[in-house]
Amino acid sequence: MIIAIVMAWPLVMGIIALLRPQWARGVGVWGAGIELVLALLALGAYSLDIPTGIEIPLLAQAGIYFALELDGASAILILAATITTFLAILVARDAPRSMVGLALLMLAGLVGIFTSQDLVLFYFFFEATLIPSLLMLGLFGGAGRVQALLKFALFTLVGSLLMLASILSLRFLSGADSFLLTDLLAAPISGSAAGWVFAGFLLAFFVKAPLFPLHVWLPDFHAQNHPSGLADAMGTLYKVGLFGLFRFALPLFPETFAAWQPVLLALAAFTALYAAWIAYSQTDWKRLLAYGSLSHIGLAALGLFSGTWEGALGAIFLLAASGIYTGGLFLFVGMLHSRFGSTEIAVTQGMLRHTPALGALALILVLTMIGLPGLAGFPGELMSLLGAWQVSPLWTALGFLAVIASAAYALSAYQKVFHGPPAEPSLDLSRAEWNFSGLATIFIVLIGVYPKLMSSVIEPSAQEFARLVGGGL
Amino acid sequence: MLWLTIIFPLLGFVLLGLFGRRIREPVAGILASALVLGSFLVVAYLYLQGGAEVWIEDWLPGINFSLLLDPLAAYMSLIVTGIGFLIHVYSIGYMKGDPGFTRFFGYLNFFIAMMLILVLAGNYAVMFIGWEGVGLASFLLIGFWYQDLKNTDSARKAFIVNRIGDLGFLLGMALIYSLYGTLEIAELRAVIGAAGALPAALGIGAMLLFVGAIGKSAQVPLMVWLPDAMAGPTPVSALIHAATMVTAGVYLVARSSFIFSLFPWVSYTVAVIGLITALYGALSAFGQNDIKRVVAYSTISQLGYMFLAVGVGAYWIALFHVLTHAFFKALLFMTSGSVIHALGGEQDLNQMGGLRKLMPQTHIQALIGVLALGGFPLLSGFWSKDQIIAATLTYPFGGEIFYGLAIFTALLTAIYAMRWYVLVFLGTYRGKAHPHEAPAVMTVPNWILAIGAVFAGFLAPEPWGNFLEGFFGSTLASLEVAHLEMNNELLLIAVSALVALLGLWLGYWFFSRPQLPGWYQRFAAVSAQAFYADTLYQSWFVIPAKAWSIALSAFDRGVDFFYRGLAGAVAGLGRGLAWFQSGYARGYATWMFLGLFVLLLVGVWGFN
Repeated sequence: MIIAIVMAWPLVMGIIALLRPQWARGVGVWGAGIELVLALLALGAYSLDIPTGIEIPLLAQAGIYFALELDGASAILILAATITTFLAILVARDAPRSMVGLALLMLAGLVGIFTSQDLVLFYFFFEATLIPSLLMLGLFGGAGRVQALLKFALFTLVGSLLMLASILSLRFLSGADSFLLTDLLAAPISGSAAGWVFAGFLLAFFVKAPLFPLHVWLPDFHAQNHPSGLADAMGTLYKVGLFGLFRFALPLFPETFAAWQPVLLALAAFTALYAAWIAYSQTDWKRLLAYGSLSHIGLAALGLFSGTWEGALGAIFLLAASGIYTGGLFLFVGMLHSRFGSTEIAVTQGMLRHTPALGALALILVLTMIGLPGLAGFPGELMSLLGAWQVSPLWTALGFLAVIASAAYALSAYQKVFHGPPAEPSLDLSRAEWNFSGLATIFIVLIGVYPKLMSSVIEPSAQEFARLVGGGL
Repeated sequence: MLWLTIIFPLLGFVLLGLFGRRIREPVAGILASALVLGSFLVVAYLYLQGGAEVWIEDWLPGINFSLLLDPLAAYMSLIVTGIGFLIHVYSIGYMKGDPGFTRFFGYLNFFIAMMLILVLAGNYAVMFIGWEGVGLASFLLIGFWYQDLKNTDSARKAFIVNRIGDLGFLLGMALIYSLYGTLEIAELRAVIGAAGALPAALGIGAMLLFVGAIGKSAQVPLMVWLPDAMAGPTPVSALIHAATMVTAGVYLVARSSFIFSLFPWVSYTVAVIGLITALYGALSAFGQNDIKRVVAYSTISQLGYMFLAVGVGAYWIALFHVLTHAFFKALLFMTSGSVIHALGGEQDLNQMGGLRKLMPQTHIQALIGVLALGGFPLLSGFWSKDQIIAATLTYPFGGEIFYGLAIFTALLTAIYAMRWYVLVFLGTYRGKAHPHEAPAVMTVPNWILAIGAVFAGFLAPEPWGNFLEGFFGSTLASLEVAHLEMNNELLLIAVSALVALLGLWLGYWFFSRPQLPGWYQRFAAVSAQAFYADTLYQSWFVIPAKAWSIALSAFDRGVDFFYRGLAGAVAGLGRGLAWFQSGYARGYATWMFLGLFVLLLVGVWGFN
């Protein structure tokens, strides 16, 4: 039941914020803040084995249920998404008011995505969350927003329509009683039909992960979104493809997955290195971050596609952490934009002289992104590596070359802005930015220094994943 | 209580970082120094109590956060905090008046904390925290004067080159984990020690760890970052890029000696890389005209000696050299710092000379450092280097060629060390500044280092005594060593001593001449470029990497165009099918439902 509340709260707050734009900021900050408490309560309930789920038949004849359930992985992902949303609303003062309401609606949708136990319900949330994301881009994006929007919408819709076809086929091919995940897991399908159905899921999730070659919507999506960073942070959270693979696609088709595993690993490794390398020559912060985060999705995917519990744990850990630090970096770019009116890396230099606190924030975020141990980005990368190596040392080594490239692109960009002879003076952190920086740093350092907080919660889910997938490996 | 050793300097970092504007000099420096001294005392106390450990079960599932103060860790921690303390004190004088005074000490404390995690780690994953942490500290301190882009470029270069090594470390961990399911060093020791047959892959794991060591310890071919790292303030060069951080690679191999000693091919590789690096560093030191860069190449060379030692299997001797080198190399850097300080920032050897009279204390200190580096008999460098050279004949993975090259490098070392001394201190002063002796806050730490540089060798003056090998006990792998007769041993020592004296005299005689012969000048021109390593890497790796990045960007746009073409084709098809677009909502709805129906049909029957 508590899950339903966790989902309903941001939905209600989001609607209020949209209906009463003059209240949007207060509703946003308080709404997300209270949601954080609710998410923590849900996590607490989960760890104490108090039932958190809900299951109501929606269309009993069709076997569709409103079934939500919390497990370790989803609890952590919800918490990370809530923290990111809270921080983003807190700091992105430049964002138009109605974006705050849309962000809260997205958060509600994400809770649904992470907890759905019924595939049709999952599909519903997967699509519904798209609407606020499209609205943010379409209403408040940059000059090239129409094209970026079309690309984003087309890729996502084509992918998810195929997934819908797969969901429907799966039910009828397997003869399961309902669209509930438990029923479908109990009635596996095999053969060439399984291949086609699996492919439908795979396409949708590759688009949404994203992974090469279905990633082309991502750079434009970020480059054209509103510069405040709020939409980018929410968009980062919405990259739920790997979660879909983790929860549904791979456990439902262990045999097909086993057969396709080498190709999937290769694509993951290629994405990781390819994107990191491209990031090195980007001149715009948003494009750099788009490719940088794409590269990290590749590293997480390497872990996930290994089918090991270590790799799965690493992938989920990385997804949760990257919400906070990638989102944080987009928000940092928003701060730069509010000072210089541009997201170009070369817009200024030598900022450290006048804005040491902003420099410290940027450095912490950048170092988290490149996976420095002791910060939140590292544990996920390490576990992903330990899992992936067991299955394919070659692709793992290739993909993890991105570790070198990431140091190159991230530190170069940081230094171009903050080092060198100081350009015109600018203001250091405002009060809201201080709050954001302090909280983000605390989360990043806490998770980095004591990852057990997160890993011990994710581990049972990762073990379960490995057990389900292991049947085919 | 072991926590305290790390918490002290970490606390300094946090305090100085958060309240940097309110803590002024010299308070920041005194606070930072006191915290490092506190760490030193805690380590010493705990070691005398018989060791200590920290254990957090399942820091990550299957990976414990473990710190362990065994003799090897205590030895390294005492070097780090002891020499670290002296350099902190020295910095109070050296950084006087710098606007970044507080920030500097914050970074220094951060470095000490990370270095302690590195050496105290009982688990490879924990060691990696310190490993990259010191890399970050190095990055921050090399680029400390960030308003000059040359400095920050050097800082970035150091970090990226180190990352290549770090990737090796990471992959090595992954390989070991895939074989044994743990990264806990004590567990691995037990399992590997008890196993009869060893997996061949473990040798590759050792090699990968060694790649990490190559990066961190600036060995060939990843040595290019260290000379540029001299862009940082001189105490940083002394602490990080001479005495402590760069020896982390040696420590890693010694700590993993239970693996390395089992794979002769890996050990030989380590020894050969070490020897090449020792020779390369020595030859490159000749052509340098920057007071610090000579010492930097000398550091590369001496680190090469340490790897030669761990390569042949003489782990404790390598650690012996870590200690003596920490004393005399920190001393050489800090006297360089005093000179630079006295000359108002001048680093060009051609603008020095004759400082013997002008800076008498610094002169004596530097002379001690030079003689210790050159291997003057009875000084610390003599004992440790002599034993490395002798070990190439007695330890299992050595050989006569190693001995020959090692002793030749020792000759070169004495010569270039003397060149540095002659150019800085002898002759007449060639510069325009008005040199003055350094203040007591700088000379006193140097005197303590000088005492160490003279006497540290007496910890193990083989064959007359050895307090060190037994100290490490079973923390290092023990190998079968061929024992020489006393006469042969004395002969080897005599040869080493004569080579050192000859080299020192040659250096003095040759570089005191007003005009150097043409063949030397031609050699010096190549040496000045460090045999074009940087130029080569620039054109082989850096420029192509950038070019590939641009090419891949273009390719990525190509992928985008491909999809656009696809969309265009679909749109064309759409125009052909335009009659579907009746413009009525019920028309669309009909088609949608028809479409879904077809999909369902395909789903239900299509695959049966």
